[in-house]
Amino acid sequence: MIDHLFRHQYGKMVSILTRIFGLANLETIEDAVQDTFATAILSWRDKIPENPEAWLTKAAKNRTIDLFRKLNAEQKRVHTINQGPEVIAINDLFLENEIEDSQLRMIFTACHPDLNPKEQIAFALKTISGFSSKEIASALLLKEETIKKRLTRARKTIQVETISFEIPRGKELPDRLSRVLEVLYLIFNEGFHSNRKDILIRKELCGEAVRLCKIILKNEYTNQPSAYALFALMCFQSARLDSKVNEYNEIVDLKNQDRKTWYSPLIVLGNRAMTKAVKTDVFSAYHYEAAIASEHLKAITFDQTDWDKLLMWHERLYELQASPFTLLNMTLIHLQKGNLKSAKQFLTKINPKDLEQRAYLYYGTQAEYYIEKKETQKAINSLNSALELVTNESERNYLLKKKALIK
Amino acid sequence: MKEFMMIFIGASYSDIGLSPEEMQGQMGKWFAWNAEMEKAGVVKGGHALHPEVKRISGKDRTITDLASTEVKELVGGYYIVTANNYEEVVKIAEGYPDYDLGGTVEIREIMVFEQ
Repeated sequence: MIDHLFRHQYGKMVSILTRIFGLANLETIEDAVQDTFATAILSWRDKIPENPEAWLTKAAKNRTIDLFRKLNAEQKRVHTINQGPEVIAINDLFLENEIEDSQLRMIFTACHPDLNPKEQIAFALKTISGFSSKEIASALLLKEETIKKRLTRARKTIQVETISFEIPRGKELPDRLSRVLEVLYLIFNEGFHSNRKDILIRKELCGEAVRLCKIILKNEYTNQPSAYALFALMCFQSARLDSKVNEYNEIVDLKNQDRKTWYSPLIVLGNRAMTKAVKTDVFSAYHYEAAIASEHLKAITFDQTDWDKLLMWHERLYELQASPFTLLNMTLIHLQKGNLKSAKQFLTKINPKDLEQRAYLYYGTQAEYYIEKKETQKAINSLNSALELVTNESERNYLLKKKALIK
Repeated sequence: MKEFMMIFIGASYSDIGLSPEEMQGQMGKWFAWNAEMEKAGVVKGGHALHPEVKRISGKDRTITDLASTEVKELVGGYYIVTANNYEEVVKIAEGYPDYDLGGTVEIREIMVFEQ
């Protein structure tokens, strides 16, 4: 059977049923879909059906009708879907393109500006991606209680604000789409930059972001250049996801990654998306980030990296989005170029506090600077500061290894 | 050869709150176990049971409808297998997928009456 079939099917079914019953019934819908799987397990015990997906869809459809009857009986609503054109309309919603449309509506709901970003991520992973709160907590390195609270708040906001289950059109679309892309970007980065040791969970988060981005690209209104750029970026980064950790679960930095293991089909896919992404006069931050990622992939060896070009992309990115992380990368590029004075200049522009829980990266970079300057004691001091702030074990080991090499 | 019943006892997957991914994993295990038993040719039959329970008890034949969560030891299904003795069935029952989820297997020999 297809990997993650149940999980993906969960998101599809919840989306279709929400389109039929409305967001007000979301919780009932999620329970009903969950039941469909329990039934599937029992009835598939002896023989898995030839087309499990169709089986599940049919079960969901039947479940829909049951559910509708139940809701009608409880709330005395006068909807009747047992006869006439409404049955046909519901059948249509189970067609492939309509399923995608429903999922897209759910993505826009999850990323609605009335929800805060943390709730958006949790809600999207639960409702569209079919993760349980336990799985979300584990992937994001948070407590399950925290995720449950976020989900409850998100659901409540959706009820109170009576958010409509639609794909925004016209003037509203650009802002709403950019919020969606941002949430997908955050989900991807949770996987890509995660401190989690378990590479499988990290891959799942990245894979989920890619899958949702594909849904965005399939719709003629939402397949904007920025969405293509984000998709390209995800492809480029995913191509070297495996090489970021070695068999002992140790972090491998870009310099030491085995470039032969970078997954070329994803690079090809990314390049193809990039050609569509650049058909615009306005470049997004994703355009520049994708360009940066692609530049690294182009270099056959670390020493052959085109640092000048990388610096240019970073400068453009910084003009668009003044992030301290970009400054940090620019510092590192200057160090690679042997340009210590400029490196120092960039480093002093950064306030480590702006990097929040990744402030240790600042001290790590500072240490690199002192190593290049051959000021051993200062380098060790910086590494000690970094070690005080780092919480993740593999990052800590990486820093300790670096420190041992200086001595 | 004798016949035995393996009775599966434990909360339903919906009540445990398994995620879709976990359910799919669990299903794979059921499927693998079943295939293994089929190959050995030991299965004579079996059924999965709906979690809803209608209980009739007492001399007044009182009828109670129970939700699955209200039943302490919920029977989820059974298999009938052929084997020479209990030990062989214990061996077969090792493949039952739900031990980690708090599930239990009870093995009972089926009585055969003289004709």
